[in-house]
Amino acid sequence: MLNKQFTIMQIITSVYRFFRPRIVGMVIALLFLAIVLVSVIGTSWPAIDQLPQNLDDQSNIKGIGLLIFTEFVVPFELLSIVLLSAMVGAIYIAKGEAGR
Amino acid sequence: MIPVELYIGLAAVIFAIGLFGFMTQRNGVRMLMCVELMLNSANINLVAFSSYHGNLTGQVFTLYVIALAAAEAAIGFAILMSIFRMKDMIDLDKINVLRW
Amino acid sequence: MAIGDYAFLIPLLPALAFVLTFFLGKKLPNGGAIIPIVAIATSFVISLLITLGLLQNPEQVINQSVSWFAMLNLGILVDPLAAVMLTMVSFVSLLIHIYSTGYMSHDRAQYRYFAETSLFTASMLSLIISDNILQLFISWELVGLCSYLLIGFWYQKPAAASAAKKAFLTTRIGDVMFLAGIVVLFADLFRLYNGAIPDGIFILKFDEIFSQIPQLAAMSTPVLGFQVNHLTLITLLFFGGAVGKSGQFPLHVWLPDAMEGPTTVSALIHAATMVTAGVYLVARTFPMFIAAPDSLMVVAYLGAFTAIFAATMGIVMNDLKRVLAYSTISQLGYMMLGLGVGAAIGAEAVGISIFHLINHAFFKALLFLCAGSVIHAVGTHDMRQLGGVAKVMPITAATMIIAALALAGIGIPGTSIGFSGFISKDAIIEAAYLFGENGGGWFPYVLSIAAALLTSIYIFRLIFMTFFGKPRTAYGGHESPASMTIPLSILALFALAFGALTTERFNKFVSETFVNNFVHMDIPGLAELGGYHLAAHAGHEPLIILWLPVIVGVAGLLIAYLVYGMRIVNMDKLVSRNNPVYKLLYNRYYQNAILTNFLSIKVVYEGLAFAGRAVDRGFDWIVDWIGNISLDAGDALRQFQTGVVQNYAMIVITGVSLLVILIAVVREVL
Repeated sequence: MLNKQFTIMQIITSVYRFFRPRIVGMVIALLFLAIVLVSVIGTSWPAIDQLPQNLDDQSNIKGIGLLIFTEFVVPFELLSIVLLSAMVGAIYIAKGEAGR
Repeated sequence: MIPVELYIGLAAVIFAIGLFGFMTQRNGVRMLMCVELMLNSANINLVAFSSYHGNLTGQVFTLYVIALAAAEAAIGFAILMSIFRMKDMIDLDKINVLRW
Repeated sequence: MAIGDYAFLIPLLPALAFVLTFFLGKKLPNGGAIIPIVAIATSFVISLLITLGLLQNPEQVINQSVSWFAMLNLGILVDPLAAVMLTMVSFVSLLIHIYSTGYMSHDRAQYRYFAETSLFTASMLSLIISDNILQLFISWELVGLCSYLLIGFWYQKPAAASAAKKAFLTTRIGDVMFLAGIVVLFADLFRLYNGAIPDGIFILKFDEIFSQIPQLAAMSTPVLGFQVNHLTLITLLFFGGAVGKSGQFPLHVWLPDAMEGPTTVSALIHAATMVTAGVYLVARTFPMFIAAPDSLMVVAYLGAFTAIFAATMGIVMNDLKRVLAYSTISQLGYMMLGLGVGAAIGAEAVGISIFHLINHAFFKALLFLCAGSVIHAVGTHDMRQLGGVAKVMPITAATMIIAALALAGIGIPGTSIGFSGFISKDAIIEAAYLFGENGGGWFPYVLSIAAALLTSIYIFRLIFMTFFGKPRTAYGGHESPASMTIPLSILALFALAFGALTTERFNKFVSETFVNNFVHMDIPGLAELGGYHLAAHAGHEPLIILWLPVIVGVAGLLIAYLVYGMRIVNMDKLVSRNNPVYKLLYNRYYQNAILTNFLSIKVVYEGLAFAGRAVDRGFDWIVDWIGNISLDAGDALRQFQTGVVQNYAMIVITGVSLLVILIAVVREVL
């Protein structure tokens, strides 16, 4: 009993200690969350009633792959370049002076 | 069938958590993680809308966003590493040599 | 083609000569003097031919104008008034240019001199020939500029530089008044047309202005409880411009100082031509003056006062050129008086005044050129160091005596025998008598007679002190070269005979400018409008009135001879610091003390300094305040710029959230 109460007190205290310097951030985050949730609830989503189900093949990986290599091939290529240069850059930065 | 509001709500909650973390954490690595969190909440939204519209484009772009997030994280961590090498710490609020 | 079609060349040729001389003069012998001389000679020939044509047929007034912009135009107008002025200006300018080739031969900046004088001649001719008041004003400013440049021609001398500044600033007061007059006139004319001016009507053209005189005279505005007639206001503002340019009291102070320039410049600008621009302006707008209540009275009284005021100072000056400068002011006063008495004699006033102007231009240019000849040969212009110069320079002395006789107005009344100054000055004094008899007051007449006496005294004092007696100091000297004596002789011829030969013809010719010519003004009707009663001009003055000017002239000659020639009076006693009258005159009525030391330094400079300091402090405080506020605000606001990304994110998110809430609330409420 005592032990349990102490534990609850401990938890509350630690939570309080955790949040006390972060109270402003928490308030803001909650405010933002509330706004988003209220607007989500207040919106009527024009969604389809039934998810398209293909019983034979439940995966949509084939479709995604087709899209990537047909319609969105240019962004894909661009992205590959971005990723590559980011990697090179990251390695260069992280290696620093010592590597030279 | 799960209503789309729940997906969006989940995304909002994750985003708020990421926001809270981003606003309150001082550690650079944690902040980057929180940014990833926010990015991924957006991904959830994309996938949800994609599914509920019966259109795969959103999922394709989710993949792209993940790739971009990888690039961003790579650069971010590289920068953090060089900061750490310079200052022996990664508390971003102490990095203020360019301030004023 | 008729000669009138070339009238536009009259101002254009000297202007072209200015450009050529300015750029090429350095490389030509004599500073390129030949260019302006040829150009001005051509202008003179054209103007002479036009004048002769007009004499034959006064109807053939030349009036060409082109649209400039909006309701303004550029144009030329050669009516009798302009024609005689053009001829006189180009003639005198031509002679002075020829004379200058000798006078300025030792100066290294000759080309600049000739460029500036030809620019001056161009501006002056353009002033005379312009057919609208705006073009006249532009030329008016141009001659002012040339006057400034030429007074300061020897700008290395501090006295010349400051005299140039003084001349420029003093005439500027008048110019601003003139401009104000034009602005008021323009506004009134604009109102008369209700702002809708038909195409092809240039409202600042003289004939347009004159045709609107009755309507202008009907306009009035209350100022400080008085009903101010607009026409009176406009004409008085114009007269203010004339006062500045023509050296009338109280803006005459620049003219004596302007003698710091080369003597030829003094002769050309400050005796013969530019200073008469003011008289010309009043003569040109005479129909406006005669229709404006009180304006002509102001002109007459101020003219008469200036005539005697300057003459008293001329008596005590010891500098050759300054005596002549005061004499010029005094004679300009006579010309203004001649216009002012138009209140009694109508349009004839223009005739006698311009007649005096022309005669004065001849004999005063001659006086200046003679003085220049003396100065050139002897090297001093202090009369106390001269004496007996007649023996060394007989031609100069002879011509100067002729000019002095002309200035003093010696002749036989009742006939047209006499020196040119006699004919015209006598006419003005007689008109002043008529003016007094006609109820205008005797003040102008009395002053003009007294001024005639003083004129005679000071000019013969100059003659006796300079040319006769024994040399007071040892000076070298020789007669001037032919390029100088020939113009002197020609001018002397004109001073001797021009008046006598032309008097009848001339007065009628010029007086009819406004009656039977380009414009047909009903002068008696306009005089009714101005509240002046014209007298019938007939020669029934008492004999004493006719003879009085000559008597005082001869009396002045005798006094000067007795005092300065025979030395019957010991002048040393009279000319001393202890004589209050002498002191007052010699110090020029303390104008310098009053105007410079008190008005400019005490009132204007210190007032400006005080105001400047106050304003400065005010601005200083404001500037400091703005700076401090910015700094403080920056100090306060930069606290937000923590440089910590989290704080920025926090603020952004807060802002977005609040914005969304705000929009939601606003949409709810609306």
